[in-house]
Amino acid sequence: MRKTLAKNIFLNITPIKKFRTIKIQMDFLRPLDKEETTSRRLLANVLSNSTKDYPSFRAINDREMELYGSEINVFTRNLLNFNDLAFSVEFADPSFLINGKTQIKDNLDLLGEIIFKPNLNGNKFDETSFDTEKRNLMSNLVSIQDNQDLVSSLGLAKLIYRNDPNRQVPIFGGIEQLKGLTNEELLKSYQDVIKNDTVVINVVGNVDETEFLKELNDSIFYNELQNDRNDLKISFDKFDDLIAQPALQIDHKKLNQSRIALAYATEGVSKDFSRLAPQVMNLILGGDDQSQLFLQVREKNSLAYSVSSSYQPISHLVTIQAGLDSDSVDKALDLINKQIEYIREGKFTDAQVDHAQKVMLTRRKISPDSIQHYIMRNIWETIYPKTLLTDEQFDDELRILDKKHVASVAEHMHAIAKYELIGDSE
Amino acid sequence: MTDKLEKQIKKLDNGFQISVVPLAGYNQVYGVAMANFGSVDTRKKDGVLPSGIAHFIEHKLFAKPDYDVSEKFAKYGANSNAYTSYTKTAYLFQTLENPYDNLEVLLDLIQNPYFTDKNVASERGIIDQEIQMYLDMPEFVLDERILGQLYPNDPISEDIAGSTQSLQTINRANLLQTYQENYRPDNMNLVLVGDVDFEKVESIVENSNFHTLETPIEKTFNDFEPIGQGGQDEMDISQARAAYGIRIDTDLTGAELVEKQFEMNMVMETLIGESSENYQEMSKLDLIDDSFSYNVVAENNYCFIIVSGSTNDPDKFQDYLRNHLSFENFKNVLTDDKFERIKRDAIGAYLFAQNSPEAIANQMAELYFYDVDYLQLIHMIDSIHKENLLEISEKFLRDDNRTYYNLIPSGK
Repeated sequence: MRKTLAKNIFLNITPIKKFRTIKIQMDFLRPLDKEETTSRRLLANVLSNSTKDYPSFRAINDREMELYGSEINVFTRNLLNFNDLAFSVEFADPSFLINGKTQIKDNLDLLGEIIFKPNLNGNKFDETSFDTEKRNLMSNLVSIQDNQDLVSSLGLAKLIYRNDPNRQVPIFGGIEQLKGLTNEELLKSYQDVIKNDTVVINVVGNVDETEFLKELNDSIFYNELQNDRNDLKISFDKFDDLIAQPALQIDHKKLNQSRIALAYATEGVSKDFSRLAPQVMNLILGGDDQSQLFLQVREKNSLAYSVSSSYQPISHLVTIQAGLDSDSVDKALDLINKQIEYIREGKFTDAQVDHAQKVMLTRRKISPDSIQHYIMRNIWETIYPKTLLTDEQFDDELRILDKKHVASVAEHMHAIAKYELIGDSE
Repeated sequence: MTDKLEKQIKKLDNGFQISVVPLAGYNQVYGVAMANFGSVDTRKKDGVLPSGIAHFIEHKLFAKPDYDVSEKFAKYGANSNAYTSYTKTAYLFQTLENPYDNLEVLLDLIQNPYFTDKNVASERGIIDQEIQMYLDMPEFVLDERILGQLYPNDPISEDIAGSTQSLQTINRANLLQTYQENYRPDNMNLVLVGDVDFEKVESIVENSNFHTLETPIEKTFNDFEPIGQGGQDEMDISQARAAYGIRIDTDLTGAELVEKQFEMNMVMETLIGESSENYQEMSKLDLIDDSFSYNVVAENNYCFIIVSGSTNDPDKFQDYLRNHLSFENFKNVLTDDKFERIKRDAIGAYLFAQNSPEAIANQMAELYFYDVDYLQLIHMIDSIHKENLLEISEKFLRDDNRTYYNLIPSGK
């Protein structure tokens, strides 16, 4: 069932019986804004710390346990050019419980509490919740420096989006922005989110559509989701200046292993070619354990344990990551270039294409074995349906694909950014 | 109640058990073959094996005379992978089609080693990079160090992958001998989750090429030295990490050990889980952030708990836990309501895991070695009473079985 509750408030209910759990997720979306990124992440943490009726973290957790280990999750993430503040509750399907008659209502109410009934003290959030979560977030942001894979991918993202100030602050926030954020400002940000963000609600699992809709209408959601919301305008990044002048940064740190992260724009591939050609090219380049990067950089030359590439369909970027000895960096970079060249020149085999097509098909068919698949597909269908292929379209695109299409993607790969985190022993 | 999971099992004459669990509505078939052999199994009657040898076998079994097994899996449309833990090694595949061809590949993978001087040498470089990668992760380093305090000079405190030095002593000969001693049918089992025909699976496995040994498998349990006094080291990190460890020496095995693990988890959840007074207090005192967690491990004769996380004050973190992880404290906080909640939470976690073919297969394969039927776990959880928690907590929440380790940022 698909329903529009008000302008830009969408509800999707997907009744499906194969899972042991039911998941309700509400995504609040608005354009990325560097001034709001950190506050939205802190908001996620403060709202899930306590509520009006569950005024401590402990009380919320007690309630989750009472409901057979329900899992509340509140987080922010990038979705297109939007900041997605997502709230979800996943809980045991009552048909597997002896004592779970009110599971759906109880969990819906708990999610409603988290989103719409914050633990306030005047014109501020409860001080303990605010202070605890601000400290927590600060601690997490500081700890990021100890996760070298993340440091390396953030280093690359900073180069890729050097002209987009809104993407300069990572989606989980920035230390400097967090330092200055006050309780009052956070409450204002909350009020703005609740009133103006586009909302996509998804329910997946063993639910009856009519009954669930009735539960929803009898709950706090009914009153809170009446007013129209702002429109979302989708925009895409352009990388022309980086193609003309690629960005490079090299940092040094006391580490056992060095990391390299590379980004390539894939612009100018003919629209007549299969829409799946970039994914297939990526699989052949570095997408799995049969890929050129895995076989040449890791297996044949023993240079790295982890080396892979990935393709981001929205930005059309190919990125490559590897962890290796600092004295192997140049050799690895040379090998990486050779693999791109290999594909560009069409030296890959039909068997490699067949394998990549098979992987694409398998991933697509296995994906519905996860509850999250239905939620993500519904979100895309709601906000950017153009990016989705029907099963028929997918099969057609896969069928028309040939070596020429794959080589063409590699031909149009333009190096736009390179980040190196060099591990110095002393 | 909706349809429960069911399974078909058969133990072959050679001691190898096959289990199949159909999972309605799922498109994939997930298979795992597991050996009861892991990184701690390095001490033999006639000597000591190099650390990391179990993990090295895991990597190198994929190599065959003219091909790599991952190519074969790929040919039949499967993803494949493998992992080594302290006490187990597992080989797995996930596929949409050709489950029987992929099963044959999985059997080829575990049954036909092909170790050569050349392929062993090239693998050293790859594994060494894996070791270096983990050495840059403070959580990993901290785990290794606290295990070094809990089990001084024991193989469990060494990296599962070994060390740059130990890799040099792993060779074709010791890999092959270790493989032959441990990859025997009576020391392994297979679980398939998804839509497969049990008889067909059985026939494929029956006709495969297991090597058998007449002598019974020898499992030597390691003797432990006294617990270390604790320690601290500097690392090039931004924030301190602290770990508090509890060692429980036990003779329990099999289902009894698994049940005790559930009970200890419930005790720890009550004492320092997110809904505990202690969690709230430590958070208020700025001693923990949301990286704070605990892990209860009960495998073979190892049984320990590690409580760890980032902290601004490792000493106060340790003091707090030392003073509050006590039987007295536990008795006071374990109300009937609390117990009911903890139990419901465990039942929910069991149901959550059943959404995942991977989780079902891996847990079922592992629990086989403890004579526990994964599908009956719910009854085990249900049979736990408040008194059981009081009894076990009095045994393990003591002063003489705990230790600590802190990693602090260099120069601070």
